[in-house]
Amino acid sequence: MAVATLQTGGAPDSVSSRESSRRRGIKLFKIALLSPLVVLIFCILTPVLLLQLYFSFHQWTVYLGSWWDADFVGLDLFRSVLTDPRFGWAVVRSLAFATGSTIGCFIFGFLLAYLMYKPFRGQSFYYIIFILPMLTVPVVVAYTAEMMLYRDGPVNHIISFLIGHDFRVSWLTNPHMALTTAALLEVWNWTPFSFIIMLAGLAAIPKEPIEAAEILGASKWRIFWEIQVPLLRPVILLALVLRFLEAMAEFPKTWALFQGGPGTATETLPVYIFMTTWQYFQISKGAAMSYIVLMLMVGIVLFAIYLLRREKHVLDAMYEWRETEMEA
Amino acid sequence: MAMTKSQRRRASTIVRYAALSVWALIAFFPIYWMISTSFKPSSEWFSWPPIYFPHPATLNNYLNVWFGAQEYAKDQYSISSQKPLISLMNTTVIATTSTFLSVLFGAILAYGVSRYKILSETRMFQLLMLRMIPPIVVVAPLSLYYTAIGLNDTRTGLILVYFLTTLPYAVWMTKSFIDEVPREIEQAAEILGASRWRTIFEVVLPLIRSGLVATFLFILILTWSEYLLALIITKTHVTTLPIELSKYQGSTEGRVYGRQAALAVGITIPLMIVGLIIRKHLARGFSFGMVRR
Repeated sequence: MAVATLQTGGAPDSVSSRESSRRRGIKLFKIALLSPLVVLIFCILTPVLLLQLYFSFHQWTVYLGSWWDADFVGLDLFRSVLTDPRFGWAVVRSLAFATGSTIGCFIFGFLLAYLMYKPFRGQSFYYIIFILPMLTVPVVVAYTAEMMLYRDGPVNHIISFLIGHDFRVSWLTNPHMALTTAALLEVWNWTPFSFIIMLAGLAAIPKEPIEAAEILGASKWRIFWEIQVPLLRPVILLALVLRFLEAMAEFPKTWALFQGGPGTATETLPVYIFMTTWQYFQISKGAAMSYIVLMLMVGIVLFAIYLLRREKHVLDAMYEWRETEMEA
Repeated sequence: MAMTKSQRRRASTIVRYAALSVWALIAFFPIYWMISTSFKPSSEWFSWPPIYFPHPATLNNYLNVWFGAQEYAKDQYSISSQKPLISLMNTTVIATTSTFLSVLFGAILAYGVSRYKILSETRMFQLLMLRMIPPIVVVAPLSLYYTAIGLNDTRTGLILVYFLTTLPYAVWMTKSFIDEVPREIEQAAEILGASRWRTIFEVVLPLIRSGLVATFLFILILTWSEYLLALIITKTHVTTLPIELSKYQGSTEGRVYGRQAALAVGITIPLMIVGLIIRKHLARGFSFGMVRR
């Protein structure tokens, strides 16, 4: 317990009764501290999840009467989702989009952080420029991308100028290109995230092992692979895991820019659920789909949490060690 | 050809600046394009070759979009049916209120976790699920539930759901600040007779106020730019800025880039200012307080 127990004199009886009332006080205090979270979860989250469960077993669309006397259809909705090839493709697209953009963010973020972690002239200037993409609103990214990526737009113009001959890629309307474009936008938008996390990680690495290795004549390459990368592992995993989860949920850019199109080229899971529910008004199918995705994501998140928890302990130990070093 | 050590160092410096500058251009160009387009007259919105420096630069886009000023719409692209100023007010109220609630209750929870272990480490990680599960899987029943209890299309509804979804960030980030406060100070306060609540509000929270401000501004970034929940829960009565911006898509005659850009700049600038103020704390925020500087 954090709060120190005050040792006071007096009769043993009064001490124990005071002690027990104190315990009760602490218990009430803990309940009071926790209550807002419990209230929120019970008043918003629980009813919503129960409602979602109800809809995934009852066939209902907005054209039918009241939703509370919809027909019970058992597992039909889950069957129809799992046999829907569009759903399967949406899973594939989401995983591809999330994996690709996570790796992209990581590579660029790591390179930039590695080039910048030691102080140099202009460091804070570059830092400010580099974090700007993260500070734009996702829908703004989508519409700005539209202003730049249309066939006769500035991006094709600049690339044509750089490579010296005419370059006209239909970034937005070519079905083979669209998902890549979305992933590239995600990389542009969130490389700053990987960058700041890596930069903080690189800056926190203790200097002694590197200095020792330099004195012993180790090459930069060996120092990088055998000292810096292992010490960075928690930060690297953190950047990968958090980015992947966010990319799985990405909606504003893909929706605002593509609405799933051209064709179904950018129909990721969030987009397909959104279309099923709000464009085809198949509330029940959307609910069953949501539950499947929820289960899938809970699986992924539990694994992610397992990783994060392990790495957090490593990080905490490192920060603690650094603090005692600084005090010494 | 062998290089001396100083030559090699100079070469690596040049390579570093070149690489960083290339990325700086990539990072900044879209932002520049948005800003420059917002000053372009309609004839320059999509001309080939593209126009990189608006000439003549004009404020018409801003005046028309933000103030619905017809007299400044010297072209056919006038839009006055939308109400960005009202959306701006809605966004401001919703984002600041939900963020304030999130930070206040998050800090209280974090204090309980840090000092009284009211949530085990496992529960703390489970709390992260509120953030990590894609919100799309609950928006449809949330909208129906909100309709049933009268919160659909209201500010309160959106505030509550933002409060809930940003709470994990608030708890984790404030906890990382509270953990850094020495416990002796609270013990001293207790000996001096302060109640537990007073200890929180008059001793601990004031000690971490810069951390609380950083947390507040960080979560403000998230609530200010949120799109999906706002799109579903608030439709006609209440509109936030990101939704206002998407109304310019398809609703009017063709592409109205200049107008869109003027609105986009207005949405983005406050966010960038806030983000740059707390730039040192962004890593801590996005990593739920796990990475510190």
